[in-house]
Amino acid sequence: MSLAEHLVELEAPPEIDFEAPLDNRQRIVPAIEFNDVELAFDDVVVLDKVTFRVRRGETKIVLGGSGTGKSTIINLVLGLIKPDSGQICIDGEDVTDFDEPEMMRVRKKIGMVFQEGALFDSLSVYENVAYRLHEEDVDEDEVEHEVRRMLRFVNLEDAIDKMPNELSGGMRRRVGIARALVGNPSIVLFDEPTAGLDPPTARTICELAIKLRDLEDVSSIFVTHEMNNLDYLSSEYAVVDDQGNVEFETEGERLCLINTEVIMLKDGNIAFSGKDEQLRMSPDPYIHRFIRGK
Amino acid sequence: MNPVSKFLYELQEIAFLTWRVLVGLKRGPRYFRETIDQLDEIGVGSLVIIILTGFFTGGVLILQAYPTLAFYGAQTQAGQGVATTLVRELGPVLTALMVAGRVGSAISAELGSMVVSQQIDAMRALGTSPVRKLVTPRIVALIVAMPLLTVASDVFGLIGGGLVAKQIYGLDTTVYTSSVRNGIDIDDVLGGIIKPLVFGVIIGLIACHKGLNTSGGTVGVGKSTTSAVVSASISVIIADFFLSKALQTLFKTTLF
Repeated sequence: MSLAEHLVELEAPPEIDFEAPLDNRQRIVPAIEFNDVELAFDDVVVLDKVTFRVRRGETKIVLGGSGTGKSTIINLVLGLIKPDSGQICIDGEDVTDFDEPEMMRVRKKIGMVFQEGALFDSLSVYENVAYRLHEEDVDEDEVEHEVRRMLRFVNLEDAIDKMPNELSGGMRRRVGIARALVGNPSIVLFDEPTAGLDPPTARTICELAIKLRDLEDVSSIFVTHEMNNLDYLSSEYAVVDDQGNVEFETEGERLCLINTEVIMLKDGNIAFSGKDEQLRMSPDPYIHRFIRGK
Repeated sequence: MNPVSKFLYELQEIAFLTWRVLVGLKRGPRYFRETIDQLDEIGVGSLVIIILTGFFTGGVLILQAYPTLAFYGAQTQAGQGVATTLVRELGPVLTALMVAGRVGSAISAELGSMVVSQQIDAMRALGTSPVRKLVTPRIVALIVAMPLLTVASDVFGLIGGGLVAKQIYGLDTTVYTSSVRNGIDIDDVLGGIIKPLVFGVIIGLIACHKGLNTSGGTVGVGKSTTSAVVSASISVIIADFFLSKALQTLFKTTLF
């Protein structure tokens, strides 16, 4: 083979089988990709040429004040709103111009955790978690097995028969996480899942996100404005000990975290993108004020 | 946005919603269980108020009409007047207004609450079309339930009229029944069925549209609910005029 042929082969884009299981796909393809995405509501620019990537197994923490477009990014990933221009790719597939039926297919590989849980009020915890499986007419025995597995993951199996109005705020979020995880999505989106929760419960939610990242190889976007969440997610990792129990260790004890990055939004632009250590050392006054809270 | 532009925009949105409902009916998935649940909620749940409305409307029609008819010596025609008025107009319209108030408000409030609590977004995120899951079953249930409720309203209206005629004015039941039979023909019955079908679609589409376009939290839910009931009621009354004219032309009936 000539050198030219070698170069052509090297430059050729990787062939991707979108229907193949995730593990078999080439990990080089980002799970989520935004290229110059722009969005405005009337005259208000919400996102201005936003570009970033979420690699496989990576957690991208999206920081920013209220109204900076954090949740909008998640809505764009889900296709709940469409950008004015730019490109959005999920698993290497350009979904920018997908219509609703096509997005329904894409959404099957995405789990979404809403700010208040967004549980269906008229359905029990079991029915909420089983929702996606019931829609797909999965056998009831299989549904129950999967629902119990997911509720065990969020440590809420005892609440299986309760109605949403019987749950505390933290329990609602955890049920929301269990519902999002049914079907083993390769991407999970968290929209301020700890807002309004007490610190221990917020910590529990972050631990679930860490477990998904480190033990389940899930790619995620974690939208938050709370610095505690950043501390947990960017300084701790989950491992399984010899007895099969999940342990949380601090970065530097044995391993170094390379699968968590931060982006900070400001006025529709990305004001920062990188590691949390770089964020803390940033000279930008806006970032400095955000981190210090003053 | 000025009122005309707003009206045209809403009309366009309702047209889109209608199209999506039709596509949902054709392609599926179809939610039979939800449709049955809605039939129970809309049909069975509204039956009592519809029966009461029909019964007392029939009664008051006789109460007011009988003395005038008696003045002209035409009291034996009282049943005919009640039957024609009820079956052609008051039965379908009053039923539609009651359903708009009871069911239209419930649909709008329920969907509006789901919007503001992000349950609609959650549904879409979980791969379900809210139009197919929530809107289509409600509209199908309204289309099925409205004619049945209207028939119930008509029947109990005639019974109410008969009771008032007998108990208050001493009109013989056989005379009343015979007069009722003379007042109704097959065209009236068909018209009385066609109208509620259309009213059911109108109430369902407006209530679902208002509910799904709720914004502004719980205050927005209240506003969309009020707007749904007002818009549906006015639309029913306006549609009734044009439907009546169309049915008159179709069946060539204007008088008894």
